Amino acid sequence: MQEGLTQQIREKARELLTSAAVDCIIGYERASDGLTARPLFAYEPNDVDKLIFDQTCTHNLSRFLVDKRDSTVAIVAKPCDSRAVNLLLAEKQIQRERVYVIGVVCPGIVEATWGQINDRLQARCQLCREHTPPMYDFLVGEPTAEEPPVEPYHDVAELEAKSVAERQSFWAEQFARCIRCYACRQACPGCYCTECFVEQLDPQWVGIRVAPAENEFWHIIRAFHLAGRCIACNECERACPVNIPLSLLNRKLEKDVLELFAFRSGLSAEALLPLATFKKEERLGMGE
Amino acid sequence: MTQIISRQDLLSWLERLIGERIVIAPAQSNGLVLFQRVSRAEDIVLDFDNTVLSPKESFLPLSEVLFTVAKENGDIKLMPATVAEEMVLFGLHPCDAKGMAVIDQPLLAAPADDLYQQHRARTTLIGLACSQAGPECFCTSMGTAPDDPSNLDILLTRVNDSYIVQATTEKGKALLPSDLIAQSEVTAPPPPSPQAVPTEGIVEVMRGAFESPYWSRLADRCLHCNLCAYVCPTCYCFDIRDYVDEGGIERVRSWESCQSPGFTRLAGGYDPRPTKGARLRQRFYHKLSYFPEHFGHLGCVGCGRCVRYCPVNIDIREIINDIQKLGAQSEC
Amino acid sequence: MIEGYQPKIIGFLCNWCGYAGADLAGTSRITYPANIRVIRVPCSGRVDPLLVIKSFQQGADGVLVAGCHPGECHYVEGNYYTRRRFALLHPFLEYLGIEKQRFRVEWVSASEGKKFSQLVSSFTEELAKLGPRREA
Repeated sequence: MQEGLTQQIREKARELLTSAAVDCIIGYERASDGLTARPLFAYEPNDVDKLIFDQTCTHNLSRFLVDKRDSTVAIVAKPCDSRAVNLLLAEKQIQRERVYVIGVVCPGIVEATWGQINDRLQARCQLCREHTPPMYDFLVGEPTAEEPPVEPYHDVAELEAKSVAERQSFWAEQFARCIRCYACRQACPGCYCTECFVEQLDPQWVGIRVAPAENEFWHIIRAFHLAGRCIACNECERACPVNIPLSLLNRKLEKDVLELFAFRSGLSAEALLPLATFKKEERLGMGE
Repeated sequence: MTQIISRQDLLSWLERLIGERIVIAPAQSNGLVLFQRVSRAEDIVLDFDNTVLSPKESFLPLSEVLFTVAKENGDIKLMPATVAEEMVLFGLHPCDAKGMAVIDQPLLAAPADDLYQQHRARTTLIGLACSQAGPECFCTSMGTAPDDPSNLDILLTRVNDSYIVQATTEKGKALLPSDLIAQSEVTAPPPPSPQAVPTEGIVEVMRGAFESPYWSRLADRCLHCNLCAYVCPTCYCFDIRDYVDEGGIERVRSWESCQSPGFTRLAGGYDPRPTKGARLRQRFYHKLSYFPEHFGHLGCVGCGRCVRYCPVNIDIREIINDIQKLGAQSEC
Repeated sequence: MIEGYQPKIIGFLCNWCGYAGADLAGTSRITYPANIRVIRVPCSGRVDPLLVIKSFQQGADGVLVAGCHPGECHYVEGNYYTRRRFALLHPFLEYLGIEKQRFRVEWVSASEGKKFSQLVSSFTEELAKLGPRREA
């Protein structure tokens, strides 16, 4: 089935490049370990044969759209990736006419590190609710019936149920390992600020010191800046070299946004983001 | 005749050392093996591929205070940080030891970096030879080997349930536990053979490749996330900032990397490396061109961490291969 | 209850309502604990979560945001955003181990001097029972 996906993607890519409809195809190719995948930028029709699509194609290629906003590009997008495209469109970071989305009906991505792949689906894929991209210009693969997960936020709920002291020590332990490489930020399509708050000198919110308090600050605010925006591709967690469970942060906010504002990010390119709007009559338990 | 120590005695020796000084060794942390300060010998992991981060943290901490300034009785005092306690860094592989030697070149050259020098002086390095090479390893192409004792004070090589002990420096010899070491006929097994990478002549070829569009094409997928520089045993760039409040001033130095957008941004806004391609090219030029031209040997030790952890698989071995090919083409 | 412990509260009060309410408490000679350090902002909607977290990091044991009642914002809509933003931040802080009693968002109008003083008193008392915020 995946060979079929690869073939269809290559054909479409070849067509787009030869007709000069796009300057570049952003897709996947085989990585240097011969097992996993990595992003490929194909500029010539000849490069098209390097394109692949299989269950190791973990990257969220929409991360590269803001970098390439001055070109016209085609992007191979899994459902989560296409939600990120919607996010970038809603936030006016890219122009619709400059992005051609080759949507892929996703079989789910397996856990893998360089040199080693697992049979098991990534946690985010086990909780996936849409295997067909919510937006695309061309669809590759056959849509199938969805089986939504029974408890998509069970891990968040588990942590919510613990005591304050337990949560304090849990997060203290996690953030102590942070080396502030910012790989999480750099891997994220939603983090495109030309000057991140950590780089601000005046006021200096988070300086260069790597210490528990600063690390905590960094993670809390980054997660909050993604509230109502994060599409849970989990590339941040995958990029983290010291295994900080970032999805537990992002998805807590995702859960609360859904409960409070009945909103899921990335399903529409026109949606008003929940923190950028309001309903006069709503009662949210604040100050009442 | 070789000197050996049994695994059991090794743990006793480490326990002894833990009682006398700070011991940094590979230990488990949330499913990862990282160099950490250990309080019990049993926490030390002896069999592992390689740690996520290199041990350079022990000499060039992630974040350290260089000096503090405070007012005392109306006087303004500047107090430089000092490092006093004796330390043992245990369990580093020869690639990481070579990494230390690489960083020594710029940081110990006169005028030496004071704190780095203090860290190095107070530390004894006990390394572990590698019994197997990972698929990402290529140390033999970078001037070292899985059983290379140079750059260490003591090298331990595993043979069944014992370790051959080689002390190559006076510092190392002074630390040996004579009561736990035995003589033996045992010889070291042949070291593993990591993959070879064609580094012969790379410095020459790099000279001609600076303007190649190869770098910006490669940089298309680079996330500029600093990860490669942070896991690397030979990267040493840093940022310095003063923290000022009513109590005084603290000057802090933390890791930074040439991959960060804005690393080379100057006051006034000009940036000599404004593009992704320019920043990515810088990293490989430092390792494979500028450093060797300055110091006489390549700035990479072949530990393979960047290969293993780069989220988008920017692979220095592949790059070396590609650049060699580019060089061969341009000669034709 | 730690002997002699005085909680530190940072209060972000909006100029038109919260701050005016606090001012009224003062002019009416209604006392309230000096544990609160007041920072005047033009609108509660200006209060960035960065400010709240920074307050905790700099040693605050509690943070208060006081704005106009929804529907009465001097800038018409500012406090609607405040309401949404902090409805989301509050449970998130708790999830991270910052007790929910340490962060309060209240609507205090310019005429509610008494309410303000009662609010600060009860907040101070609650924080005194909770103890100092433990730094990570």
